[in-house]
Amino acid sequence: MNWNIVSAITRKDVVDAIRHRYLLTALVTPLFVALMFRVMLPNMNSREILTVVVHDPAVSGIVAELQKDPRIGVVEVASADATPKEVATRKAIGGLVVPPNFASEIAAGRQPELTVYLNNQKTVFEQAALRRLLDQIVRAFAKQPDPAQLVWVDIDKEAKDKIVGGTGLDQMLLPLLLILTFGMTGAFVVPLLIVEEKEKRTLDFLLSSPASLREIIAGKALTGVVYTLLIAGLLLGLNRQFIRNWPLTMLTVLIGLLFVVGVGLVIGSLLKNTMQVNTWASFVLIILLAPSFPSIGITQWFDMAMRVVPTYYLTEALKLSMAGIMASRLWLHLAVLMGCTVVVFFVAVWALHRRS
Amino acid sequence: MKAIEVENLSRAFNSLRAVDDISFSVEAGEIFGFLGHNGAGKTTTIRMLSGQLSPDSGRGRVAGCDIVTEQQRLKPLIGVVSEHQNLYERMSGRENLEFAARLYGQEPQRVDEVLEQVDLLDRAKDKVQNYSNGMKQRLVIARSILHRPQIVFLDEPTRGLDPVVGREIRRLITDMSSQGVTIFLTTHYMEEADLLCNRVAFLSEGRIVALDTPNNLKTTHGSNDVNVTLNNGERLSLALDGPEAGNELQQLLNKGQVRTLHSAEATLEEVFIQLAGRRLAE
Repeated sequence: MNWNIVSAITRKDVVDAIRHRYLLTALVTPLFVALMFRVMLPNMNSREILTVVVHDPAVSGIVAELQKDPRIGVVEVASADATPKEVATRKAIGGLVVPPNFASEIAAGRQPELTVYLNNQKTVFEQAALRRLLDQIVRAFAKQPDPAQLVWVDIDKEAKDKIVGGTGLDQMLLPLLLILTFGMTGAFVVPLLIVEEKEKRTLDFLLSSPASLREIIAGKALTGVVYTLLIAGLLLGLNRQFIRNWPLTMLTVLIGLLFVVGVGLVIGSLLKNTMQVNTWASFVLIILLAPSFPSIGITQWFDMAMRVVPTYYLTEALKLSMAGIMASRLWLHLAVLMGCTVVVFFVAVWALHRRS
Repeated sequence: MKAIEVENLSRAFNSLRAVDDISFSVEAGEIFGFLGHNGAGKTTTIRMLSGQLSPDSGRGRVAGCDIVTEQQRLKPLIGVVSEHQNLYERMSGRENLEFAARLYGQEPQRVDEVLEQVDLLDRAKDKVQNYSNGMKQRLVIARSILHRPQIVFLDEPTRGLDPVVGREIRRLITDMSSQGVTIFLTTHYMEEADLLCNRVAFLSEGRIVALDTPNNLKTTHGSNDVNVTLNNGERLSLALDGPEAGNELQQLLNKGQVRTLHSAEATLEEVFIQLAGRRLAE
């Protein structure tokens, strides 16, 4: 492998991609969606009152803080056990169980656990709004950047499905945006880079030059990696307060990146022109993206069906690694993803050799 | 010294034998024409000789390298001008050549040299998508000689170009040849082959049906007649072959009866039709 040739191809593609209308659109879409969510969600919050059931036995003051916000309606309950039931009965957006020692723990500079029951029968926007508002309110109450360990529990799921996270939106929007970034790479960026060389016959020039097919493919894959890391890095950097474990998050991102680049190589080797990529890539993108919407009130069978899509494991691994949970589930998800990556690369090599 | 040596080369695509047991050799510094109708196997031959496609059978050596086992050693020694103007259209002319220079490990100043050689230095910063067909073709040729190859394969280099640009491209080809570069040229234009090539091979249905100098082909396969128009308007066709050849013409000339005199030797196209049984454009 001649790395000078690989880097020459990557350098050419990195510059050329900015001038390519479709590629540029694919690359900036996740950033645009991120911006859209940022702009759209606060506006949606103000439209209607979000009912939140609260159990706060020690009267920590957080209820008062919640009541200050005109977008939240608070219903207090007498016991922690009654909280999820009341959420379901009142069809509230969520419930909050504040431990008795919450205020003293905060004062001592520690991060007490705050259990939040989330009604996943509500819309994705309402859930996102609650996550965002709670994040803001808890921070305002504690007057420190990282005040509490929020334990999110979906009210119609088993307790084992609960996810511990630092704050709100990270558990839903950030993985979704990262999967969108990966999906764009796998479904559009890498396939377009390969297909355009075929379509414009520049592949003939490359193959008659000292570049081998292996080096050409490595150059294309590297371009996908460069752009995806750039966009994913931007998303993670802008949401850095949500990342509890950077090494673990980056490891997950890298494995996910390898997987989608492999998917891109397979698609690029099978399709012949830009039109075909535009047609098929949307289907691939939807499939890759589907598992990143787990908490929008989807049915059990759909949730099970999503487990055959490798990005399901990527989504779950992202949630856990961003939350800094080194549970056995995380390693299992990463192992499944690695296995899928190996399979995809084998298929890509086979398809490329068949085409060549 | 042989620049290209081919023995019994064959390549099929499914049931179609695109190239069928061809053998020939090209001397170093020669301009060798490879002529044939569409689908005759010209491009397949170039793709095999340039290491882009493996033959099914037979052997080939180009610039001393085996075309199957020494492809990576071969590629820096050859340049290829494809039948398509396969340039990166969103990049400028200079960027196209700078990319090629990086692939071939050439120094950046070489880019300016070849841009000047093909007279594109003043348009080097423009995007290729804004170039005319002639400019694109000159840029493709510049790219093919950027790394100072020993052999350049030109696949229909003047197809679709206007006569003035065609003449410019032919000038570039003769320039390359005068610098000692071996040229392997495929073309539809018989006049072009006649004008440029030291030898030509006729390819039909994947097989070589004739290989010789253009003059030999024309004299061997054509007639040695002259067409004479007399002062009274009468037209005659006089054979120059045989024992009495030329006597009648001599008499007419002596009597001052000849108004015009034209050679009636066969054109390369006529020889091709005679040998291949079809026109080149078919």
